[in-house]
Amino acid sequence: MASHSHSLGGPSRRQRVAPASRRWGHRRDAGATVTRRGFIGKGAAVLAGAAGVAAALSPLRHLSPNDIPTAEKFFQKHYKEMTPEDKQAVLERIEREVANRHCAIADVQAHEPLDGVEFLYALNLSRCIGCRKCVFACVKENNCSRGPEIQYIRVLKMEKGSIDVETSDHHYDPSQVPEHDSYYMPVQCHQCANPPCVKVCPVEATWQEPDGITVVDYDWCIGCRYCEAACPYWARRFNFAEPTIPRDELTTDMGYLSNRPRPKGVMEKCTFCLQRTRRGRLPACVEVCPTGSRKFGNVLDPDSEVAYILKHKRVFVFKEDLGTLPRFFYYFDERGSRYHEPIAPVAPGGEA
Amino acid sequence: MKRYFSFLWQCGRISFVGGWRYHTWMTVLTILSLIGLYAYCQQLVHGLVTTGMTDQVSWGLYIANFTFLVGMAAAAAMLVIPVYVYRNMQLYDVVVFGELLAVSVIIMCLMFVTVDLGRPDRFLHMLQRFNFPISMLTWDVLALTGYLLLNLHICGYLIYCSYCGREPSKAFYIPFVFIAIVWAISIHTVTAFLYVGLGGRPFWNSAIIAPRFLASAFAAGPAFIILTLQIVRRYTRHRVNDDSLLTLRRIVQVAMIINAFLLGCEVFTEFYTDSAHSASAHYLFLGLHGRSGLVPWIWTAIVFNLVATVLFVLPASRALRTLNIACILAVLGIWIEKGMGLIIPAFVPTPLGEIVEYVPTAHEIMVCVGIWAFGLLLYTVFVRISVPVLAGELTHEKRYGEPARRVQGVQSS
Amino acid sequence: MRRPASTPRQTNPAKPTAHALYVAVALALTALCLHLDPQPFVSPVPAATVVPEWVTEVTTVRHPTLVPEITISSFTYRCGDCHDLFPSPPETTRTLTQHSHIALKHGINTRCLNCHHLTTREAFVDDSGGLIPYNRPELLCARCHGPVYRDWLHGVHGRTNKYWDTSKGPQERRKCIECHDPHQPPFPPMAPAPPPNTLRMGDQRLPVDHGDIADPLRVYHRATAADKGPGRGRPGSLGEGPGRGRPGSLGIDAESGVGGENRPSGEAD
Repeated sequence: MASHSHSLGGPSRRQRVAPASRRWGHRRDAGATVTRRGFIGKGAAVLAGAAGVAAALSPLRHLSPNDIPTAEKFFQKHYKEMTPEDKQAVLERIEREVANRHCAIADVQAHEPLDGVEFLYALNLSRCIGCRKCVFACVKENNCSRGPEIQYIRVLKMEKGSIDVETSDHHYDPSQVPEHDSYYMPVQCHQCANPPCVKVCPVEATWQEPDGITVVDYDWCIGCRYCEAACPYWARRFNFAEPTIPRDELTTDMGYLSNRPRPKGVMEKCTFCLQRTRRGRLPACVEVCPTGSRKFGNVLDPDSEVAYILKHKRVFVFKEDLGTLPRFFYYFDERGSRYHEPIAPVAPGGEA
Repeated sequence: MKRYFSFLWQCGRISFVGGWRYHTWMTVLTILSLIGLYAYCQQLVHGLVTTGMTDQVSWGLYIANFTFLVGMAAAAAMLVIPVYVYRNMQLYDVVVFGELLAVSVIIMCLMFVTVDLGRPDRFLHMLQRFNFPISMLTWDVLALTGYLLLNLHICGYLIYCSYCGREPSKAFYIPFVFIAIVWAISIHTVTAFLYVGLGGRPFWNSAIIAPRFLASAFAAGPAFIILTLQIVRRYTRHRVNDDSLLTLRRIVQVAMIINAFLLGCEVFTEFYTDSAHSASAHYLFLGLHGRSGLVPWIWTAIVFNLVATVLFVLPASRALRTLNIACILAVLGIWIEKGMGLIIPAFVPTPLGEIVEYVPTAHEIMVCVGIWAFGLLLYTVFVRISVPVLAGELTHEKRYGEPARRVQGVQSS
Repeated sequence: MRRPASTPRQTNPAKPTAHALYVAVALALTALCLHLDPQPFVSPVPAATVVPEWVTEVTTVRHPTLVPEITISSFTYRCGDCHDLFPSPPETTRTLTQHSHIALKHGINTRCLNCHHLTTREAFVDDSGGLIPYNRPELLCARCHGPVYRDWLHGVHGRTNKYWDTSKGPQERRKCIECHDPHQPPFPPMAPAPPPNTLRMGDQRLPVDHGDIADPLRVYHRATAADKGPGRGRPGSLGEGPGRGRPGSLGIDAESGVGGENRPSGEAD
């Protein structure tokens, strides 16, 4: 009897019925004859109820036409189930949408993972100066929302002598970095080999690709934010509002699984810029880093930079105890960090 | 079939019949539901930005209420077990109220989950690529819908039989009753596992959460049913004897004590260990780095729970007025403890140590109130229907004058 | 038809109509209120952060020419134009009469001619007094900073641009002096890009409580704060007197910003 309630218009239906039958029931019950007054009363209640529902639904008049799914969007298949023709049609639809909403000619592609490639990221904590250039290069490359602000990278200012993120400062804003008493630890998606976020997704809208990148199908995500609760690296972002991207800052080289514009109400995350990296290019954050703290490459290639780092550097992964097996490694140079203030020179002869 | 439609029609009809109190109550609930619908429509237009949730605190009041309500639903089992397992017949008359409560509460749960979704229009994706059995959320969806169907069947069948004036056939409902008992435990366990399974949230990642859920559910649910029964017996002719209330009191009594004990265990572990993992507990109970939004709430909850526990234990709560107060305190206390106190602190601080406090917005509160009002509306209607039908006052024969087939006094006479 | 006993307090038959009217009025009022949009949504989204252009630029912090030239009031000279005529005295602690903008702060490397060739000023000098071409400064740096040079050769020290997969496109490597000023090698401090300003973030300037007073790190910070005044917790400032500057691993720090060792050692491969 009440099984129809939990859909979008659920509450309304009941209420629409309510005032109407309320009166009928009463009349029959009272066994009274149909009086004019009774009829007016019931009619008024019905009308008022309908008006109430209409008024309650009235905010929907502001609904943007873009938010109402077309049949094409509504019946779109899961990315993994699409045939090449399906994909083509979807990519063309997205290009049309970008043209309509952002007035830009975009090239949207479904980049396939490369054979024999597994991406790995390494970040040199001895070198990072906390300038946050990576944050904004990422935002620009990946067409992240500027308002509300969505950034995949968070740079933590850590106190020297401690690696406790709870005492870190995310909001430092001095006139110059680095500050003497701190070091800096940028955090972004760790592209775990055992990703908790993928495990929890109820609709398989997020999964791990063969090259190790965990991706989100923005057209499949239902926005339950369970993955956001599951991620120990706080690497996932939710589009609480319609994202805004300045027209002249749109990156038009787009990937279906990465930097195409997202609708509101879905999750997004760092994909190691797969629209670049799957074509051999470096991620935006790596390219922009002024100190060269960020290293990226194919771990299956023993001559790669990341393979060298794993072999020769002091490496650690963040929250290793959680068993997430990140593909993101932090490392140090052997002799510690040196970018801070100079120490007083040793007096001549004092060396011995 | 015709008879079944006449049953539905009569159910619909009778839900609009009542005195001024009933009408006022229903009108108020309707208005609140409409307000909730209005706020939800705004949420549909603007997105979840209308709520106080953020990337830092990504679940808020919606999921908190959901969690609490799952417990209330599971509590129906606490009425069924004494009756069907231990043959405690004092509760026989009221067991159906527990099941009806479960039905309306599960519907509220599903509504809370739905309003929490960023893309409710993609609800069908659940059916197309259901990540079962990996995702605990899919387990929860199965558990909740299954429990809803079970209880709908049991209540619907019993009430329909009563309406038809025939004895319910045991084969049609007793097996389901027993399945529902196990299922009730499972819905709450599965809901606890939603949170417990997340390694990145140390506040939740504790095996005691599931037992704590059950204990608090078995306290809050029966407490709520006690309150319902008090209203039923005050305003309807349905007979609810003191003994059934006192049996329920005993259940709540034990559950409250266990709940307090488990909470104590949790608090001890967090604060005696005092590891970095207890930051969320610090935030909840004491405040962290000057941020202490939840501290007044949790201490209110603890005071309510303790006072309620003491009242339940004291013989004073045999007096029904005291019992009511104890029940109200218990329900409120557990609502805070399992909502605000369990969901939100797990997000503060974030896994990266940032502290962003969560404050629900007016729209969010309106949606919550709307769903609560709608759930109460449903429950009122269910009780409104079931009381006369189970009392044998509204039967098919009486309405349509068909000859009686069998004895009229059905199970709840 | 019998009236099913619904409530114990029955109302008289005239009342229901009145009820209907009340209900209608209440619902109509609600409708009216809701239609007036009593709780309009006010966006909490803060204005987008203004990001200066340089933040997303991929260029290096320095743009050395890698040719032995100097431009003085728009005239460009080769080094040899002067130095072939006027040999410089070997002593470097004197005040320079030319190149006075150069402040040499390169750790213990305090002599111009440690790097610049004594006679052929358009080249650098290697360990055996031979020539290092001006456009291969990394060979010069490698004389002291062996391990860093090794890392750099493997692409692990310093910046890499363009392609990680060199079969798909060119890779760009940067030379030492595109990031480090050879006369003052520490990587130059810079202004940070704006801090995060996420949705409903609230005031984030509250002080962070760094925990227990017995925390050894706190003890250390208090000790150094008492030592040095406001310059709280500077590693390397522990201890005083002639022994300072050798505080074990903690202090081997900053001066040689090129990132390698202070001490010219035999570590270079």
